[in-house]
Amino acid sequence: MTLALREMRRRPGRFAIATAILTLIAVLLMFLGGLLDGLVASSTGAFRAQHADLFIYSGSSRNSLVRSRIEPQVRQQVAAVPGVARVGGLGSAQLGGRVPGRGPRDLVPIILFGYDLAPRGLPSVPPATGTVYADDSLRAKNVAVGTTIHLGPARSAVTVVGFVSDSRYSGQGTLWGSLETWRQVLNANRPDARVGPGVVQALVVQAAPAAGAGLAGRIDRATDGATSTLTISQAINALPGVSQQRTVFNQIIGVTVVIAIVVVALFFALLTVERTALYGVLKAIGAGSRTLFAGVVLQAVVVALIASLIGIVASLVLNALIPAGTIPFVANPARLLSSAVVLVVAAVVGCAFSLRRVLHIDPAAAIGGTP
Amino acid sequence: MGRARVRFGLLISAVGLLVFLILTQQAIEGGLITGFVGALRQQSSPVLVYSVDGERTLQGSVIDPGLESRIRGVDGVAEAGWIGQSTFTVRVDGGAESDAALIGYQHSGLGDPSRLSAGRRPAGPAEAVGSAADFTVGSRVRIVPSGVAGATGPVFTVVGLVKDAQIQVTPTLFVPWAGYEAAVKAANPDATTALPSVIGVRPIPGLSDTELVNRINAASPDADALTRSQAASETPGVAQVQQSFQLIFLLYGLVVPLVTGLFFLIVTFQEAAALTLLRAIGARSGSLVRSLLIQVVLVVGGGIIIGIVLFAPLTLVSLGAITIRFDPRTVLFWSVGLLALSVASALVAARRVLAIDPLEATTGGGGL
Repeated sequence: MTLALREMRRRPGRFAIATAILTLIAVLLMFLGGLLDGLVASSTGAFRAQHADLFIYSGSSRNSLVRSRIEPQVRQQVAAVPGVARVGGLGSAQLGGRVPGRGPRDLVPIILFGYDLAPRGLPSVPPATGTVYADDSLRAKNVAVGTTIHLGPARSAVTVVGFVSDSRYSGQGTLWGSLETWRQVLNANRPDARVGPGVVQALVVQAAPAAGAGLAGRIDRATDGATSTLTISQAINALPGVSQQRTVFNQIIGVTVVIAIVVVALFFALLTVERTALYGVLKAIGAGSRTLFAGVVLQAVVVALIASLIGIVASLVLNALIPAGTIPFVANPARLLSSAVVLVVAAVVGCAFSLRRVLHIDPAAAIGGTP
Repeated sequence: MGRARVRFGLLISAVGLLVFLILTQQAIEGGLITGFVGALRQQSSPVLVYSVDGERTLQGSVIDPGLESRIRGVDGVAEAGWIGQSTFTVRVDGGAESDAALIGYQHSGLGDPSRLSAGRRPAGPAEAVGSAADFTVGSRVRIVPSGVAGATGPVFTVVGLVKDAQIQVTPTLFVPWAGYEAAVKAANPDATTALPSVIGVRPIPGLSDTELVNRINAASPDADALTRSQAASETPGVAQVQQSFQLIFLLYGLVVPLVTGLFFLIVTFQEAAALTLLRAIGARSGSLVRSLLIQVVLVVGGGIIIGIVLFAPLTLVSLGAITIRFDPRTVLFWSVGLLALSVASALVAARRVLAIDPLEATTGGGGL
């Protein structure tokens, strides 16, 4: 072990290529992971912010918020189900926002939410009609408290009265107002999607403490299939693109880990071939295969740790440098640490391919005998 | 190679697997983008005018009557017609509920499919042309009203098919405007009217599509006119999908030469003594390097053939809603590219071979 570390100290150049390649891979792993976290966060914030246990779409909407439509009598049926403590309506409208100071074609893509059961970070009573809370990400688009944003082709005016954090949806900044504000804006801008009094797109439900399991099923039975009730996490996973993003990025991350394993395997195979004679001598003077292989593993772990450390620092610097509202990158400590662990494990697995070669080194060959 | 069949066989298999993955991912990318915007490419209107509020998405764009009259009034517009798009819950032939996108068009030649792969064009509002991957001629598609108890929606009979014509990776139907409007109103009884998502426009003879786009955009800050190909390539999400896949291809493209290069470097180390002896008995460096490069070409070439053989049967099936195609140009591009990169990466090993000193054979050396 000491010998392995001493070799790294005395001949750092020998390990420079592997360290450089693994550092690139570490940065790539952490960047990809951060990008995935950022994308998912920007797609799901509005749902994660809900102060509720269940999310209800209309039965034939196939869990699409835009297609879902819940009439007042269905809401009453839901509210009457034993175990339901509170029910809130939710509506959304995706529109271009004209923000003062930006060009006539430089619209900000915005999703206006109407609510009556306050999500996390919002006051329990929705703001007055025509006023809204804005997601923090919209600060980067010149939005401030007091800014009046004109929404959609009808230029519906809403004034920002405060901010809420981590509430983006579908990768866009959100505005949060009363259901009345939402209806007015939607009906003015989207005649094909307009809604009547009391109609909402979805319901959120807070369960009573003693509601027990199966509340979702009881709600759907009570409405005779007019609703499709999901837990909040099910609703998040059902959002368009979320599971696809996870799949694609996890696939890229998986391939990157395989690349790390291949690089480490080939590099340490090369080192082992180069050091065959040295290992032969060491074995001839009594060193065991286990000791020699432990040295190889230690070197791989050290190289991976150095690469991970540089990767973590690079990710944190990147996180600080990327302007808000541009690349959806989040340097999440759990993600950075898990990436480092994955890289170290990949390094150990990779160098394990040299085990057979180390075991088969014959000390007789090193002292001039016939191998 | 003949005496170390297992070693070279493993490398050929690994390269073959990587080539298979590359070709599959490339085909998925093509299929995914066609699924996203294929309907825009296949529709017949040469110019599409969105509202600037729509952010270049059919579902986000709404053209109000005021904007429509400004578009129609632009000098150079020969013909203009409504095109609407929305996604609905449907039942095909009485089966389970599923999704379908409807594209409604006002005039034939402005929004309907340019050419059909089977059947005929609709003769009435209850007939439709469907995306060939999802429907068959004779399919009956019923719109399921959402959130309206007991209501029934209009039924469309598929009378024609068009290839590669999905939108948002969803089964797609092209229907006359009256049918589209009926579907919108059935899905949402509160809807007062179905406004067009975009206006399809054809320029007068002698005026290019691009020139008409410029004129319309200059006429109204609320209009966002695009040519057909621009509308497809600038749909939000398309560029991101392409970038994501390019990153995957870059990684795969690096792995093949990296693995091949390091493999042959190790081989030259292992065979150092034999190579030194060959040099000592008169073998030229050039012939040794040539042998090395021939091995690289055989290994990578073998891998490419295995990859193609694995990939070809996959193109006979669909992955969900995505159609996988065997594109000879893509296969050729990757084959040549990977071969060239692998040969280039093996030059490090070749350099080692060239550095062999034959004298070391007489001194018991032979290391590299």
